[in-house]
Amino acid sequence: MTRLHPQTLRIIALFVALLATVLFFSTQIDNYLSPRMFTRITTSAAVILPIAVGQAIVVMTRNIDLSIGSTVGVVAYLTGEFLGGHPDLHPLAVALLAMGIGGLMGAINGVLVAWGRVPSIIVTLGTLALYRSFLVQYSDAKTITTASLPQWLVDLPQANAFSLFGLDVRVTVVLALLSALAMGLALTRLRAARRIYAVGSNPDAAVMAGINAGMVVFVAFVLSGAFAGLSGLIFLAKFGNITVVAGMGFELKSVAAVVVGGVSILGGSGSMIGVVIGCVLVDTIDNSLTRWELVSEFWRDALLGMLIMAAVTVDTVMSRSLGRLGGKGGA
Amino acid sequence: MARLMTWEGLLALLFLATFAGNVMLAPEFLTLQNQINLFQLSIEKIIVALVMTLIIINAEIDLSVASVMGLSACTFGYLVTGGFPAAGAIVVCLAVGLMAGMINALLIARAGIPSLVVTLAMLIGFRGFARVLVKDQSMGDFPLWVTHLGQDALLGPLPLSLVLFLVFLGGLGILLHRTGFGRQIVVIGTNAEVARFSGLNVARVKTVLFLMSGFIAALAGLLYAARLGSVRGDAGTGFELDIITMVLLGGVSIFGGKGSMTGVVLSILIILNLRNGMALTNITGHIQTGVIGVLLIASVLIPNLTQDLRARRAKA
Amino acid sequence: MSVLDLRHVSKSFAATAALKDMTLTIEPGEIHAIVGENGAGKSTLIKIMTGVHQPDQGQIFVSGAPVTIRSTQEAQSHGIAAIYQEPMVFPDLDVAENIFISNRAQGAFMNWKQIYAQASDLISQLGVTLDVHRAASGLTLAEQQTVEIARALSLNVKVLIMDEPTASLSAHEVARLLSIARALKAKGVAVIYISHRLDEIFQIADRVTVIRDGQHISTKPIDQVTPDGMVKDMVGRAIDTFAVKSAANPHGDSVLRLEGLGRAGVFSGITFDLSAGEVLCFAGLVGARRTDVALALFGISPSTEGRILIDGQAVTITSPQQAMGHKIAYVSEDRRKMGLALSLPIFANISLASLGKLLGAFGLIDRKAEAAMAEGYRKQLAIKSPHVGVEVGKLSGGNQQKVMLAKWLETKPRILIFDEPTRGVDVGAKAEVHNIIRTLAQEGVAVLVISSDLPEVMALADRVLVMREGRQAGILDISEATQEKVIRLAAGSARGQVAA
Repeated sequence: MTRLHPQTLRIIALFVALLATVLFFSTQIDNYLSPRMFTRITTSAAVILPIAVGQAIVVMTRNIDLSIGSTVGVVAYLTGEFLGGHPDLHPLAVALLAMGIGGLMGAINGVLVAWGRVPSIIVTLGTLALYRSFLVQYSDAKTITTASLPQWLVDLPQANAFSLFGLDVRVTVVLALLSALAMGLALTRLRAARRIYAVGSNPDAAVMAGINAGMVVFVAFVLSGAFAGLSGLIFLAKFGNITVVAGMGFELKSVAAVVVGGVSILGGSGSMIGVVIGCVLVDTIDNSLTRWELVSEFWRDALLGMLIMAAVTVDTVMSRSLGRLGGKGGA
Repeated sequence: MARLMTWEGLLALLFLATFAGNVMLAPEFLTLQNQINLFQLSIEKIIVALVMTLIIINAEIDLSVASVMGLSACTFGYLVTGGFPAAGAIVVCLAVGLMAGMINALLIARAGIPSLVVTLAMLIGFRGFARVLVKDQSMGDFPLWVTHLGQDALLGPLPLSLVLFLVFLGGLGILLHRTGFGRQIVVIGTNAEVARFSGLNVARVKTVLFLMSGFIAALAGLLYAARLGSVRGDAGTGFELDIITMVLLGGVSIFGGKGSMTGVVLSILIILNLRNGMALTNITGHIQTGVIGVLLIASVLIPNLTQDLRARRAKA
Repeated sequence: MSVLDLRHVSKSFAATAALKDMTLTIEPGEIHAIVGENGAGKSTLIKIMTGVHQPDQGQIFVSGAPVTIRSTQEAQSHGIAAIYQEPMVFPDLDVAENIFISNRAQGAFMNWKQIYAQASDLISQLGVTLDVHRAASGLTLAEQQTVEIARALSLNVKVLIMDEPTASLSAHEVARLLSIARALKAKGVAVIYISHRLDEIFQIADRVTVIRDGQHISTKPIDQVTPDGMVKDMVGRAIDTFAVKSAANPHGDSVLRLEGLGRAGVFSGITFDLSAGEVLCFAGLVGARRTDVALALFGISPSTEGRILIDGQAVTITSPQQAMGHKIAYVSEDRRKMGLALSLPIFANISLASLGKLLGAFGLIDRKAEAAMAEGYRKQLAIKSPHVGVEVGKLSGGNQQKVMLAKWLETKPRILIFDEPTRGVDVGAKAEVHNIIRTLAQEGVAVLVISSDLPEVMALADRVLVMREGRQAGILDISEATQEKVIRLAAGSARGQVAA
């Protein structure tokens, strides 16, 4: 292959943008290129990455999931509470529990979107509020504290998977990367997962080709919920103290990571490697701004919004020029 | 009989039910002042919902309204705290709203990016700018006349915000249902291609709508600041949920082309009475939000399901 | 044994019979052409074979066994697939994946190496070169069709239906498609080839079936068919069923003049004069780009070369607003997509293009005047509806057409373009629409009619402009035009070429 695929080109561009961002902040912030900063950014990105993976799957089917921030909160709370009563539960069972609760919440979204024919933006805007208010009512203003959690979970965020060139890679980071890797492999190797692209790319053609588009959309939402569940567990481990605002605003961060990572908001395309870099890029900007003295940390959201808009505009312009090459014929 | 089975008929019944419920829970609910207070508590959202009605009938959506409200309120707080005269600050804030609307309009009507995506990004972006202005402070100390306008009766028992609401309701109702521009909004929402092939300027209509939305949201933000007497960076956060629910519950189709101001007014009344009733029975604000979320989904789901049922019956 | 057998199949929609007692036998490895005019029932026939519609009566046999086909998937499992003028591909996926996306025989895992190898193999079996790694979004229409044919081939299709596959293709691409069809035939696949282009049919078909008015007229081996015989079978019905038109009534000077009008890559070299009171019909095959000329005149997709002159003055038209400013109206062919807001009442649709005239102070619509205006058209055009507040979607096709017509009449046009004015309209309403068009011409409107319905062209036109593949193939005066001549010009058959 001498010719570069547009997707490959995009990944390279993203990677360059990430490097440039890191280089820029290293000139602005003292002691920026340190192992501590590496750990800080990677562990913070590890909370967002699973939900970005889930969001990416949903966006690839031409939908959006705005409820995952609330899902993260509910899962973190319920799992934390359950662990308070059952501290001996095997870690794997805990992970399954968290992903199961999340998957169930995603299934509610999925049914309403796929078979109730309610636009995903409406459904998930509704469940964003609903799940959060469930959490408020259920928790009755009580918080989960580190004290009630089993020791292995409390230790998890500090646990090192391995060190590379003096940089510590935490277990949570490995977990998050594994989720992206698993989904990435599925999306490139599993025939069933390829249908996600097909449905997002041309829903009519998908139906003509005998693909059950409703089922694909449903499964996408279940996966999104399940990944949000995983993210909820990592959140629980990282922060220990869970209040009713846990995970608030994560939905927007995940959308940002996904569109910056090159997943087309119009569905049908995108890669997990892009999502990982997009997620790290968004989190690097986020974490660096809080330490940048020249500009107030309050610029974070403003920049995030502009970043999303820029990514989407580039995407629209790019896909339009591609469409023009295709040349639609008419009578 | 058939007329009662329309969506508006159902809304009227639902309104009567919630209203009766409130009266039973608290007989003093019936006083004029209580009714005015009921409106006053949500007045900013209600005003924005009127323009949102036009936008959704046009088959678009504006998720950024609550952030524009926040941005306008925070701009006002920032300027007044910095010693800028309040009257001038009001003009600046309205201009900021128009500018926000213009950015949305350019990206949607000219660049052709879906409004859902544009306004979602701007929901984050405009909110971010609001935060940049006030940081994590609360900014108050507005001139007395500002808080007076925000809180006290202006015309008879009615405060300024309610007067504005009535004016906008009348104006936008006439605009939508009686003018050529309103007809263009509906036709474009029904089928933008038909509109284009009939010589309508689709981009211009959309541009005007998003400018209106930005302007009204900024005005609502000012009213909010004046009513509360101070602003914070999170002013109005999440209001888009209530606003969109008011519109969709009012029978406006999320796919565009269908809807009436009457329906939206009924739905506003229902939501106000529901919230009031829930407050009377000690249901917290968060649960109320959850109930609104359910209403939002139901208002699209139920018409879809009845349509399916009807189609199935027609087949059998 | 025949591979596909339709016996005495009938299908009606509402009160209209689309197919009547249709019997058709397809043999393995033959290329079987089906020809007929628009509305003859070809598309219903295809939809029955592919499971989109079920027959009301009659039986379908596949390789001798009776079958019921309830969906495209079931059709595919019986080995029947179809490709259309507008291919159905996934723009974001590459060629190879587009071929295998729904292929269940491939297993749960994507073996990319194997997929690319097999895809390349399928493509080369078709005698075509196409990089299987390319994304479908960058493919030309012809290449997308190739992908669809390869997809059908991968499903071991026994019968492949090609519905007007060459309608939007260039000459070079047509040649390639025909060789693909021959390659399929060599593999034992039966190809049902539906086309208006007679020259293609004589190049490729083994047998030809002619259908007309939903009925089977004839099935003959190609060597027993002559172009003239086939055209006669297709046209069949007596031409005098249409209203006898009054003598041509041109009022002197040219209102509209096109000089070498073109749009890059779409059409070119359109030149004619149109006088007030004259009816000029655009004839040609589907895909001859006639509508594109209309869209250029109306400013939807503006022309890029040549000139438009109105009353002798050169004008630029880049938007519908400008076109309407020059008193041009365009009654589009697709009522549902471009013509009518179906969920709105009759009056709102009629006033849509001339809303400005009804506005009073503050832009308020004068609703009395609007209702009166609409009511006037309801009476004048005999729109069958109790009042003008009825939703347009609830009217019949013919009445919808009249509402659309009323919308444009209200703009008081001087140049009126009709695109397929009677498509999907029953016979009675058709005659009414024809009368309206002739009356308009007599009142001095310059009329352009795009029609694929030849008897209609003959009944309406003062002159006929025939287009072929984006070019002007000739202009015939009605006195010298016959249906046969027009078809030959449109299909590009070498015989009987008429000088323009």
